[in-house]
Amino acid sequence: MRHESVPIYWRNIPHYYRLVARRCKKCGAVYFPPVVKCRCGSTELENVELPREGRLVEYTVLHQVGTDFLKQKPLIVGLVELPNGVRVAGQIVDAQPDKLAPGAKMEVVFRRVITDGKHGLVMYGYKFRPVGGI
Amino acid sequence: MKDVFLAGAALYQAGRHYGKNIDDIAAEVLDKALSDVKADIDALFVASSTTELANKQQILGAYVLETLGLDKIPVYRVENGDGSGGAAVALAYHALRSEEHNCVAVVGVDKPNDVLSNQQQDIYAATLDTYFERYFGITPLSYAALMAKMYLKKYEYKYEDLAQWAVLMHSHGAGNPYAYFRRQIKLEDAVNSEIVSEPLRLYDIGPLADGAAVAVLCNSRKEGPRILSVATSTNTAAFNLRPDYDTLYSLNEAARRAFEKAKITPRDVATAEVHDSFSIFGVLAVESLGLVRRGGALAAMKDGDLPVNLSGGFKSRGNMLGATGVYQLVEVAWQLIGREFKRVDGSYGVVHSMGGVDKVSTVVVIGV
Amino acid sequence: MSRVGVVSWGAYIPKYRIRTEEVARIWGDDPLRIVDVYLVDEKSVEGLDEDAVTIAVEAARRAIRRAGIDPRRIGAVYAGTESKPYAVKPISSILVDALGLSNNVFAVDMEFACKAGSEGLVAAIGLVDSGRAEYGMTVGTDTSQGEPGEHLEYSASSGGAALIVGKDGVAAELEAMYSFVSDTPDFWRREGSPYPMHGEGFTGEPAYFRHIVGAAKGLMEKYGYKPSDFTYVVFHQPNGRFPVRAASMLDIPMEKIKPGIVVTHIGNTYNASALMGFARVLDTAKPGDKILLVPFGSGAGSNAFVFTVTDLIAERQKTGVPTVEEMLRDKIYVDYAQYLKMRKMIKLFE
Repeated sequence: MRHESVPIYWRNIPHYYRLVARRCKKCGAVYFPPVVKCRCGSTELENVELPREGRLVEYTVLHQVGTDFLKQKPLIVGLVELPNGVRVAGQIVDAQPDKLAPGAKMEVVFRRVITDGKHGLVMYGYKFRPVGGI
Repeated sequence: MKDVFLAGAALYQAGRHYGKNIDDIAAEVLDKALSDVKADIDALFVASSTTELANKQQILGAYVLETLGLDKIPVYRVENGDGSGGAAVALAYHALRSEEHNCVAVVGVDKPNDVLSNQQQDIYAATLDTYFERYFGITPLSYAALMAKMYLKKYEYKYEDLAQWAVLMHSHGAGNPYAYFRRQIKLEDAVNSEIVSEPLRLYDIGPLADGAAVAVLCNSRKEGPRILSVATSTNTAAFNLRPDYDTLYSLNEAARRAFEKAKITPRDVATAEVHDSFSIFGVLAVESLGLVRRGGALAAMKDGDLPVNLSGGFKSRGNMLGATGVYQLVEVAWQLIGREFKRVDGSYGVVHSMGGVDKVSTVVVIGV
Repeated sequence: MSRVGVVSWGAYIPKYRIRTEEVARIWGDDPLRIVDVYLVDEKSVEGLDEDAVTIAVEAARRAIRRAGIDPRRIGAVYAGTESKPYAVKPISSILVDALGLSNNVFAVDMEFACKAGSEGLVAAIGLVDSGRAEYGMTVGTDTSQGEPGEHLEYSASSGGAALIVGKDGVAAELEAMYSFVSDTPDFWRREGSPYPMHGEGFTGEPAYFRHIVGAAKGLMEKYGYKPSDFTYVVFHQPNGRFPVRAASMLDIPMEKIKPGIVVTHIGNTYNASALMGFARVLDTAKPGDKILLVPFGSGAGSNAFVFTVTDLIAERQKTGVPTVEEMLRDKIYVDYAQYLKMRKMIKLFE
């Protein structure tokens, strides 16, 4: 039976679960998604976990979704800026769109992202939700 | 180095072609273009976004040649997502400039309608970062919506201003016999269409369509529109880490190089076909090409006609994904010589073919 | 270093709620009668993208945040649940990577109906007290089901609670623990069956009351406690009536159990039920308070623990981690159709 690739998911677990990013030891630049080489030229990068809260930059309510998300639409897709200046794109959950606005405080939550049918793996990852209830 | 000319071309009507295989529609237009040119090709470049992901065919070029009974011709499959067309044109151009080949055909072909709409979304989402964007449900449409929101706020436009793009596209495409939708629309049609990713509505999306286009490029003949320059560039910053969202950086850089090589400026451009997979990208493309000042495209549209996407653009002519870049090349060339399109007043045309959300852009400058 | 005890706690309640009257409307029950019988006004509902694993991670993250310790110092993690997404596959291992624990950690998922999270507390205490782990964590988490149209549906809800056990930085010292177990099949779910079976009235006297009272009385007799020794008493809460009756059977005054009651507002969170009541008490307890904690699990068994709150409690309470009170108030109501969709109970193509 066809199912989603386990290795692809498994190797990204540190990024999906703990937002592990890469920081250049030479110049301090932080990359998420992670990179192999910094733009300053250095390949000396270390793992660093991103902060788990931030502010909403912009969002949209998406109605046309891919196969894995058909039963979850609409999705709220947003860009969140974390205190260290890094922005992350992701889903926003537990929110009413008309109460969201740029600048809103957001926190990282751990949620199901994709469920591989009835028999496959449940795949988790980070999403965002407004702090203080909206 | 020899100059490169568009010796011949053919387009397949954009639409839903459930009755034809992907190699069939490609073969039909290739045959038509070759009869047009009356020359033999010594290479085939194939641009496609769906052939592996939706139509289950690798090495597509060889099967197109098989169905036409053509033997011993090299085939090269080129992929840059929905910018595959421009990329294939670029490689064909470089192959001819190197004089390794004399006459090559560039075939752009896609058949998204062989799969369901949600699977089409999956294919489109694979032009984004597959681990950090596609995995989480992010699609190019959602990024276009974020960019549209930010653009409208920054330059103080209303949504209705952006919806004008769809109206303009339909008014241009009404006269294009190969277009998917060949009817005028009113602003209310666009403004009242269903929300797909707010603020974007259905009419802000170029509808996916099946289609095929062929351009035969030669360096062995000095006839037809000439390719003056081709340049490709990338924006390799992750979307979430980009400094701003109202510049298409890959286009900006490719255009700069292409204009420099062709020795023209944006003011010399008589016609341009830009990548409006979503209305906002068309708007940003017009600005990033330098045709209008930054933030000025919607105002320019309100004031008068914007002579861009005379084919009807992705909205009216259709979004044939990876094939569209080849459509665009043929359209600009034909607009410059007055074939199938009304002849434009001027000597230079520009093609902008983009992959993903400003991930890669190819710019082609054509002159007569 | 003190005696072993609870260093930190964390809880998580999904935001969504469904009212008893909404469920009653669908199944033709008299809502006033149901509320009167069970004293459950509404219950918590997990979101479409939540499950026992995500809830466990949130509760555990809060406990770690409150403790202020490096997660790699946790030497054991126990996940107690009866509604995990897998029949075979540990969720305690998911916790290892989600929380950033060391790979050198003892980890196992536990099952004893609603008592598994509590049994994880026992195991963590054992490992820490024997010096084989610096800190141990237990998480009780559930998104448990009741058969639709059957009374269990009014109370079966979703939530999670986590406790970190240690000897360093203890906010509530363990004084005693006791257990009472027997083969009493009051509630069970066969392999492959979607909903549990239960014995209605049989779940009362022979099961809940016999074991809760058995454990509490056993502990008090063995260690010489009287009801008046305790500031708070927290029982497992399958509904709002059972813990009240258990209190009366043990001569424990109402005002001692009221602060630990959460079931009226969120239903029965199964493995998180007693532990969440405990967390709510810890959110406001004062140094010197003595807490009697008595979880229960069908099948059946009860643990009884006595904790004494230390001076460190204030520091733990001021960490800015969401309190149970705040979570009880943070809610969005859904109707029965949304409830079915969120709980993944609607039959879809596979």
